[in-house]
Amino acid sequence: MKHRFVLSMLLAIAASAANKEVPRASDGKPDLTGVWQGGTTRRGNWEEANSGLGVGGTGRDPSAPANISPTAAQPDHEPAPYQPWAAKKVLESFNKRGIDDPAAYCLPPGLPRMAILGLFPVQIVQTPEQIVILYEYMNAFRVIPVNAKHAEDMAPTYLGDSVAHWEGDTLVVDMIGFNDKTWLMSTGTFHSDALHMTERYTRVDKDRINYEATMEDPKVLTKPWTVHSTMMLREGTRVQEYICAENNLDPGRYENLLKNGINFQR
Amino acid sequence: MIRTAWTAGILFAAAIPAIAHHSFGAEYDSNKPVTLTGTITKIEWTNPHSHFFVDVKDDKGNVANWKFEGYPPSVLSRTGWKRDLTMKVGDTVTVFGWRSRDGTNWAHSREVTFADGRKLFFGPPAGTGDGGTTPAADVK
Repeated sequence: MKHRFVLSMLLAIAASAANKEVPRASDGKPDLTGVWQGGTTRRGNWEEANSGLGVGGTGRDPSAPANISPTAAQPDHEPAPYQPWAAKKVLESFNKRGIDDPAAYCLPPGLPRMAILGLFPVQIVQTPEQIVILYEYMNAFRVIPVNAKHAEDMAPTYLGDSVAHWEGDTLVVDMIGFNDKTWLMSTGTFHSDALHMTERYTRVDKDRINYEATMEDPKVLTKPWTVHSTMMLREGTRVQEYICAENNLDPGRYENLLKNGINFQR
Repeated sequence: MIRTAWTAGILFAAAIPAIAHHSFGAEYDSNKPVTLTGTITKIEWTNPHSHFFVDVKDDKGNVANWKFEGYPPSVLSRTGWKRDLTMKVGDTVTVFGWRSRDGTNWAHSREVTFADGRKLFFGPPAGTGDGGTTPAADVK
């Protein structure tokens, strides 16, 4: 009886170890393919990982569940290293409660913001030649060639131009060619068209990708700014359509607040 | 007990960042919570936000139509909502949320309680997406 118990324990441990192994693609690289939820370390499917409190929130209101939003400054992140004039501009957006957020106008919110928010899933499709990332939020996508050079005649874009290469088991994505119309992380974190971003995706076990983004912008920041997050596998979740412009009432409401002098500032 | 729940909330907070389409605080006032019971008159499953409308009767029998805003359809489906099944025109519901700053019968909805006692979230908590308590950058 005792032996049977020990055996079943060993089998359970072996099964859970196997379950945590990093899946590999046919070329031997870690396979990032899957549907992921950013900004969380909870394992399980979408329902299991988000049951109870739901998603959203900042925790400022004690009557509501406390989930921090990436539009709030993250306690485990260093303050964004903005140049003094630029920090003032960040504060202005904060004081206006982010009514100038590109997302409120249905424009792409920006990276790494979109990669690590928890409300919408992100799907990664990996082949040896390219990585495709599909963001449900704003129906956005990135097609990232592997071992390629940046295009020479790039026009500035919302999500920039991405090229990737592998450093061991980490996918490194180099990004340039951004316009200056998105936010990097929390409210007001603007950038210039000189932005250079490096993302690192490391699948550390079956369920988890460690995500890191380093932002360099000599026109706006004093030094490189690195943020860390995680993406958790959500088996069974589908990326769905999100057509933001369908019924976006927010710009009109902001106009109304300003026109009627309704105080919404901090 | 309250303290334990709050501590658990903080731990959870560090684990799950999430944002909504727009700032909660610009349009809604977290100091004006509202709980209303009434009859569903219309449901809009639209992006970037879904809405439903509720006829609410006051003590004198006057009826006012309230508009509640919440998650987009994809998030509602992952939160347990089934379109045309979970909530229908004519159903009686109780809604908890926060009032709009413009003073109209418009509110952000958090939780809907159905006649049989079931509860589902229709929107995120107060404060979602409005920048938190401190700005991202230190202003010297």
